[in-house]
Amino acid sequence: MIALHALGMAIMVGLSLLLDLRILGWFAGIPLQALRRFFGLAWVGFGINFVSGSMLFSAQATSYIVDWVFMTKMTLVLLGAVTAGVLQPAVAKVAPGGQLSGGTKAVAGAAIVIWVVAIVMGRLTAYL
Amino acid sequence: MLDSLMDWLVSTPINGLVLNYAWSWPTLESLHFLALCTLMGSLMIMDLRLIGFNRLIPLQAVHSLMPVAIVSFAINMITGLGFIFGDPHTYFANWAFWAKMILILLAGANFLLYYVVVEPKVVRLGPNDATPLLAKSVGAMSLIFWFGVLSFGRLLPYLGTGGG
Repeated sequence: MIALHALGMAIMVGLSLLLDLRILGWFAGIPLQALRRFFGLAWVGFGINFVSGSMLFSAQATSYIVDWVFMTKMTLVLLGAVTAGVLQPAVAKVAPGGQLSGGTKAVAGAAIVIWVVAIVMGRLTAYL
Repeated sequence: MLDSLMDWLVSTPINGLVLNYAWSWPTLESLHFLALCTLMGSLMIMDLRLIGFNRLIPLQAVHSLMPVAIVSFAINMITGLGFIFGDPHTYFANWAFWAKMILILLAGANFLLYYVVVEPKVVRLGPNDATPLLAKSVGAMSLIFWFGVLSFGRLLPYLGTGGG
């Protein structure tokens, strides 16, 4: 279960970080239209982690629920998922050769910070 | 030989740096996890294009992701070496650690095969161009090796501790 959780993390967060960087203008050689399938794949990673995470949680629910590091992580993961849910349609409606709005880029920038802190908090859950 | 290597690793100042501060191990772990995300994220985009999952991407753009993968791997090699300097006896006695190292070597050889043989042939392929079979298999092997590295790495504390 813990290995599945790491796998889902790599898929969801790894792809999200790269897609966010693309939205911010890195790797401009990747067409925006190509991001659609990767968003779909990222959601598969999110599904894997929702299931594996729920099972890991249920094994130690009473200690996790009072742990502020864990609760911060969960809040950030939900926020991260919201950014992906906002960015996916925003990218999809850009015409070939079109520009992304400043708001979309701001969400992508925020998403990077959210994911990075979520990963750090998740790791620190083991210590605090 | 392994014994003297372990003695040396433990005798270095790096060992103290990793073990004597409460924050060093969690910091190394957090960096290791973050860089594994960017490594796997960039690899998935590159390898899936090689396999043919997302043909909209020109191969030149695949090449542009390579620095992300290389820098991420470098971060994980440095932080990973930190763990080894900190606690070599535990790692060297763990078969899952050696399985992970072998998979990293295989992934490295696979990358060399891509870099030297495959990429020169495919780098000019544009959107919607099909990749040759060799490129597809190198992409698939890369994903298999790296997800194997990730799984063995995460299961290290649970598998084979104590010399099994």
